[in-house]
Amino acid sequence: MTVPTAEPSDETLAARAAAGDDSAFEIIVERYQARVYRLACRLTSDTDAPDVLQETFLQVHRHLRSFRGESRFGTWLYRIASNAALMRRRVKARHPVASLDDFLPRFDARGIHAATPAELRVVSHADELLDRQFLAEKAREAIAQLPDLYRDPFVMRDLEEMSTAEVAQVLGLDPATVRQRVHRARLMLRGCLSDLVGVKP
Amino acid sequence: MTPVVCATGVELLMDYLEGVLPADVRAALDEHVAGCARCAAFVASYLETPRIMREASAVSLPADVEASLKAFLRARTTAFKCD
Repeated sequence: MTVPTAEPSDETLAARAAAGDDSAFEIIVERYQARVYRLACRLTSDTDAPDVLQETFLQVHRHLRSFRGESRFGTWLYRIASNAALMRRRVKARHPVASLDDFLPRFDARGIHAATPAELRVVSHADELLDRQFLAEKAREAIAQLPDLYRDPFVMRDLEEMSTAEVAQVLGLDPATVRQRVHRARLMLRGCLSDLVGVKP
Repeated sequence: MTPVVCATGVELLMDYLEGVLPADVRAALDEHVAGCARCAAFVASYLETPRIMREASAVSLPADVEASLKAFLRARTTAFKCD
């Protein structure tokens, strides 16, 4: 009986690559390069992302033998990529940016939303109402303006769709802190979308 | 617990979605949102925000960046020698 050849798992490839199989390492690079690049763009900038990408795979290659399978290979690789991005950012000190607090939801004295249901709802369709290119530009700007404290967990949790537990592991935070920071980022970015479609947050 | 208002709901929304709230708090939130058009609208837009930002900020790997990565790894490791 012939069984269709399944794609080798990350863990299988990692073991082969660690044993010196370059073709296995090349498959790992092919498999993850686009995702690492996207993560690097979101955590740093288009300018820095190519360097982060190179540094990540160099580190992955160097440390393959220390991958023990305690976490999923993808999580391990993302941790290396995140650290490479964070290191890169540390080298180029970021300028303090405008506060995004203005974009947080507002309430009246009784704690009721200041915006109307229609205003609150329209944000759900921001992507249908705005020009695609314009939104892409503004979205990247808004993410870049988030304080790093919120940007990093938000990028990993919501944009790269890692689990809260994985993000906590990568950033060395407890899951409750990750949830709190992702939440704040979501509120700020939701408010940015409100602003773009011209309604109160 | 103190009565739930919109502000409470917003504060606890992420914990609610991740299923880490005590059952009584969860039930109180459900009850508030069910009767509050503002919160229902807010929750819907909150849920859409990550998707909108994810789609809007997605970039693909440019061919020249991919080529540079291969050249870099070829120079620094034993991989990509046969390209």
